Amino acid sequence: MEAASVPAPSAGSRPLDAARGFLQRWGLIVVLLILPVWFGIQDLSNDGNLVRLGNNLMAGLSNGAIIALIALGYTLVYGIIELINFAHGDVFMLGSFVAFQFWNVVLGIGLGSSVPAIVLGLLLSMLVAMIVCATLNVMIERVGYRPLRNAPKLAPLITAVGFSFILQNVGLLWLGGSPRSVDDLIKAQDTVFTFVGISVSRADLLAFGVTIPLVIALTTFVARSRLGRAMRATAQDPEAAKLMGINVDTTIALTFLLGGLLAGAAGLVSALYQTNVWFFSGFQAGLLAFTAAVMGGIGNLRGAVLGALIIGCIGQISDNRFGGEWTAAVVFGYLVLVMVFRPQGLIGEETREAG
Amino acid sequence: MPPQVVNKLGSNHFGGGFVRVRLFAIAGAAALAIGVAACGDSNKSGGSGSKNLTVYSSLPLQGASRVQNLAVISGAKLRLSQAGGKVGEFPVSYKSLDDSTASAGTWDPGQVSKNARTAAQDTSTIAYIGEFNSGASAVSIPILNQAGILTVSPSNTAVGLTSSGPGADKGEPAKYYPTGKRTYVRVVPRDTIQGAALATLMKQDGCKSVFILNDKGVYGAGLAKVVEGQATKQGIKVDGNEGIDPKASNYRSQAAQIKSDCFLFSGTTDQNGVQVYKDVAAANPTAKLYGPDGVAEAAFTNPAKGGIPASLAPRVKVTVATLDPKSYPAAGQKVLSDLAGGSGKTPDPYAIYGYAAMDLVLKSIKDAGSKGNDRQAVIDQAFKIQGYRSVLGTYSIDANGDTSLTDYGIYTINNGQLKFDKAIKAQSN
Repeated sequence: MEAASVPAPSAGSRPLDAARGFLQRWGLIVVLLILPVWFGIQDLSNDGNLVRLGNNLMAGLSNGAIIALIALGYTLVYGIIELINFAHGDVFMLGSFVAFQFWNVVLGIGLGSSVPAIVLGLLLSMLVAMIVCATLNVMIERVGYRPLRNAPKLAPLITAVGFSFILQNVGLLWLGGSPRSVDDLIKAQDTVFTFVGISVSRADLLAFGVTIPLVIALTTFVARSRLGRAMRATAQDPEAAKLMGINVDTTIALTFLLGGLLAGAAGLVSALYQTNVWFFSGFQAGLLAFTAAVMGGIGNLRGAVLGALIIGCIGQISDNRFGGEWTAAVVFGYLVLVMVFRPQGLIGEETREAG
Repeated sequence: MPPQVVNKLGSNHFGGGFVRVRLFAIAGAAALAIGVAACGDSNKSGGSGSKNLTVYSSLPLQGASRVQNLAVISGAKLRLSQAGGKVGEFPVSYKSLDDSTASAGTWDPGQVSKNARTAAQDTSTIAYIGEFNSGASAVSIPILNQAGILTVSPSNTAVGLTSSGPGADKGEPAKYYPTGKRTYVRVVPRDTIQGAALATLMKQDGCKSVFILNDKGVYGAGLAKVVEGQATKQGIKVDGNEGIDPKASNYRSQAAQIKSDCFLFSGTTDQNGVQVYKDVAAANPTAKLYGPDGVAEAAFTNPAKGGIPASLAPRVKVTVATLDPKSYPAAGQKVLSDLAGGSGKTPDPYAIYGYAAMDLVLKSIKDAGSKGNDRQAVIDQAFKIQGYRSVLGTYSIDANGDTSLTDYGIYTINNGQLKFDKAIKAQSN
C-alpha cells in the first residue's frame, strides 16, 4: 500500500484509538483478575480476610498442576507436527486405569497396607503407568500418524479422533461405564499444614510434588539437551532439520514418548487425587488440557502450564462460588475472552504458523 | 458444465415432465403415508385387538442399578408364571428391554425412546413396565401415552410425572400426556412422601441445618425441592440446594462451602453419587449424611463394588419405599420367600415391586373382562383400583396414577449392605 493512500488519522478517532490501545494492553489482565478480585472484595467485606479465596486458589493450583501434565502432551505434539492429538486425553485415562489396577490388583495394595508398602507400591505404579502410556503414545504415532505425515491435515486429525474413541472403548470394556471409586490411600483431603489460614492437603502436595519436578525436567530437557534441540529444530522447520542430519521421525516419536510419560504420571496423580477413575475422564481432562494449551499459547511449554494453572483456579472459584453446574461455562467463557484480547494465547504461540 | 448440457437436463420437455411425474409420485406417496398413519391412529384408540398380549419392561440392565432391575424382572416373571402366562382367554407373554447403554453406564434417552417406540409399534402390546428412573419415564411416557399403552413404574418417585405442586416443574405433568388422558401409574409413593420422610428423619436425628446437592435430573432436582420445602416446614434451616455436574472429577470446592450439620445428596449413584459423599464427608467430618432411594443399591453401599468407603457407612442413612420383609402382609412375605427359592438369601427389595407392577397389569387385564385386549379398557381398570389387597399392602390408585401407600423404610449401611432400621410414616402437608 502506498503511503499517500493511507488516510490521515482524524482527530475524532484518537480517543477511540487510545481506548483500544488501553484495552489491548490491560484488558487481558482485567479479564484474568476480575473473578479473584471481585470475590476477594466480597470475602473481605463478609469475613474480614481472604482465607476462602486463598483456599479456592490452592485447590485450583493443585487441580491445575494435574491439567498441566496433560496439557504439556498436547502442546508438545502440536508444536512439533501441528496436530491436535485428540487421543492424548484418553492415553491419560488409560494411565489412571493402569496405575489403579497395578497397585490394586497386581500389588494388592489397599487401605490396610503399611505406609512403606503404599509409598513403594505407588512409585512402582507410577513408573508402570508412565512406561505403558509412553509406549502406547509412540505406537499410536507409529501406526496412525507417521503414515499420514504428508497427507492433508484433516486425515491425521480424524485418525486422532478415531484413536480417542478406540481408547475410550478399551477403558469402557475394562472397568465399565460408571466412575470406579478408588481407595483413598493417601487420605487425600487431610490437611498437612495451614499457611495464613490456607489449608494445604496431601492431595495438593501430591499434585505439586509430581508436577513440579516433571515440568522442570521436561523444560530442561527441551532447552538444554541435544535431543531437545533436535525437537525444537524439527518444530521450527522439519525440512531444514532433516538437511542438518536430524532424524525427524525419531524426534517426533520422542515427543510422543515424552507426552506419554507425562500422561502416565498424571494418570496416577489423578486417580489418587480424585479417588476415582472413569473411562470418560480422558475426554473431560483432555478438553480442559487442550483449552489450557490454547489459552497459554499452543506449542509453548510455559504457556501450557500457565494456562492449566489459570483454568484450575477459575474452575475451583466457580465450583465454590457459582456451583459446579456453571464451571464449564465459566472456564470456556474465560477462554473466549482471552482469545478475544490475545488470539495468540497468554505467552504466545510457538509454532511454524506463528513463526 | 457447458450451458447446452444444463439446458438439456433442466428445460428439456422430457426432463421437465419427468421431474413433474416424480413430484406427483412423491406427493402421492406422502398422502398415502399420512392416510395410513391416520388409520393407524384411529385403530390404536381401540386397543391392541390382538388375542395374544405382550407386556414389555424397559429397565437399565447395565450400570449401578443392574442388581435391582434384575430383581424387578424376576418379580415380574414370578407373577406372570403364577398366572400361568394367561389372563382369562388371553395368553400373556413378557419381553424385557434394556434402557441403558454400556457407555452411559445408566439409562440412555435414545435407548428409552427406542424401547418405547418398539412397544408402541407392537400391536400385541397391552402394558409397559418401566422405567426404573424418573428421568427415563419423562422420555417414554409421552410416546406410550400417544400409543394408548398402560405404563406401570416399579420405582419412579418424581412428583412431576403425575402431579403439579412442590417438586414439579412448570408444565408438569401435562407435558407428559399429549393425548390429555392419563396412562401412567406407579406402585411406589411419590417424592412428596419421600421428601417428607427425609425431613422427618432429619428432624428426629436432631438436624438444625441441611445442605442439599442435587443431580439436576427430573428425580434429583424434584426431590431436592420437596425436601427443601418440607425441611423448612419442620424448622430445619436449608443452607443451600445446588446442582452438581455429574461428570465432574470431584466436588471438593462445592463441599468446602457446606457447614451444615446435615447433608443430603438428592440424586442417583450413577450420577457420581459416591464421589459426592466422599468429598462432602471429608470436608465436613461431623455432618450426618442422608440419601434417597436413588442411592439405595450395592454400587453405593458396598466398597468392593465401588461404593462409599466402609468408614463413611456409619454416618449414612437412606430412605427407600421398601420395608423390612416382616412388615409386608403374608402374601408379600410369601413372594419374597418364593423369590429366594430356598437359597436363604433375602432377595433385593425391588423384586417385590416388580411383582407388584406385573400384578397391577394382570389385574387390570382381568378386570377388563372380555375387553382385556383393549388398551383403553385396561388403562381404565388400572385407574379404578381401590382398596386392593396387594403384596405391598392395601392400596388405591388415584386419578393421577399415584398409589395411596405412604410407608418409607429407613436403612443404615452395615457390611456394605442396606440394613432396615425402621419404617417412617410421613404425610406431606
